[in-house]
Amino acid sequence: MDLSSNSNGGLEQGRANNNNKEVVEVANKSSLRGSDLMLRFLAFATTLVAAIVLGTDKQTKLVSMQVVPTLPPLSIPVTAKWHYLSAFVYFVVANAIACAYAALSLLLVLASRGKKKGLTMLIITMDLLMVALLFSSGGAALAVGLIGYQGNSHVQWNKVCNVFGKFCHQVAGAIVVSLLGSAVFLLLVLLATLNLHKKHH
Amino acid sequence: MASTEPEVPPSAEPVVVEEPKEAAEEPAVTEKAGEASEPPPETKALAATEAAPGAATPKDYFPVVDVVLRVLLFAASVVAVVVLGTSKQTKLIPVQVVPFPVPVAAKFTNSPALIYLISALSVAGFYGLVTSLLSIFALLKPTFSTKFISHFVIFDVLLLGIVASATGTGGAVGYIGYKGDSHVKWGKVCNTYDVFCKHVVTSLAFSLFASVVLALLVLLSIYSLSKKIPK
Repeated sequence: MDLSSNSNGGLEQGRANNNNKEVVEVANKSSLRGSDLMLRFLAFATTLVAAIVLGTDKQTKLVSMQVVPTLPPLSIPVTAKWHYLSAFVYFVVANAIACAYAALSLLLVLASRGKKKGLTMLIITMDLLMVALLFSSGGAALAVGLIGYQGNSHVQWNKVCNVFGKFCHQVAGAIVVSLLGSAVFLLLVLLATLNLHKKHH
Repeated sequence: MASTEPEVPPSAEPVVVEEPKEAAEEPAVTEKAGEASEPPPETKALAATEAAPGAATPKDYFPVVDVVLRVLLFAASVVAVVVLGTSKQTKLIPVQVVPFPVPVAAKFTNSPALIYLISALSVAGFYGLVTSLLSIFALLKPTFSTKFISHFVIFDVLLLGIVASATGTGGAVGYIGYKGDSHVKWGKVCNTYDVFCKHVVTSLAFSLFASVVLALLVLLSIYSLSKKIPK
């Protein structure tokens, strides 16, 4: 923005250069802050969507079953709900916690303007915990989803997704969105670390 | 730090000689070295400690804790891999097709989740071995680039994600195997294959420990980085 003043006298040019440096520094800082806030909002949105998508997952289907061997098979409505599997409960709870934390940290970062060192350390620590929590819950849901999709013939766990197709698609969507959210938290930690590196050198 | 002590001759000269060499690499470190060489009548041991890059204060024990944690990561991963790898159990199971019970083996390769767990732990163990060797090397020779070592934190975070997800994966499958799930008619397995399940649980405990160690490693690097920032 100060490029036009570069053609002036030496003293002025020096001042302009100084100005430029300051402007660049401030711009760097504000863009870092801006990307931090944006990533936090993205983390909030993705974890919220993942928790809601899996938390509202429910499908009822008519399944023909042979109740009494002598009678013809009956059609019985069977419902698949998300809280039937403990891994999905863990997934929804973990995503809800991460979502609440993302909202809280967004507010804290907005309020503190990145001045307090203790708060920054606390936020980095919590970000790291969220990375571990979200990755483990994503892994758990993925493992159970895979068993539901493929089954496991060795232990006679039959596949479920051939019956409850919509249910399984919703689970897959939630897992993908949640993995995006955990990648965002990972990026937040990496960004904070790189920021510290820059300050150090 | 103590190992560098005998290499420094009595005069303060070597510190001054070393200074330009470091100046080419890290400008921030030379500041510290310059500060250290300003009061020349101080003891040579202190000067040697201060001149070492990565040691901001004489009581700087971050590199030592770093090495200990990395060795712990390596040990925990290796134990978890070995325990999971030796988890095969064969039992006589009655099958409907033939009238007599048939030996059926439970192996970790029967479940994709456990395969993922063992591969993630192998990667963590390999990474722990390599980085602990490099950190020990950096501890013995502080002139070796500590800047390079401090970038391990990026891989630490990535590996934390991998190991945490593997623990979650194995835990989810292990929980179903232990409790079963009546809603989808997945029967429990652990009442039959008790030894197999014990191996899996032990391996999971060690992998949980490994992820905690990784998280501590990241926190340690971030904490030491934030301590080094000049105010």
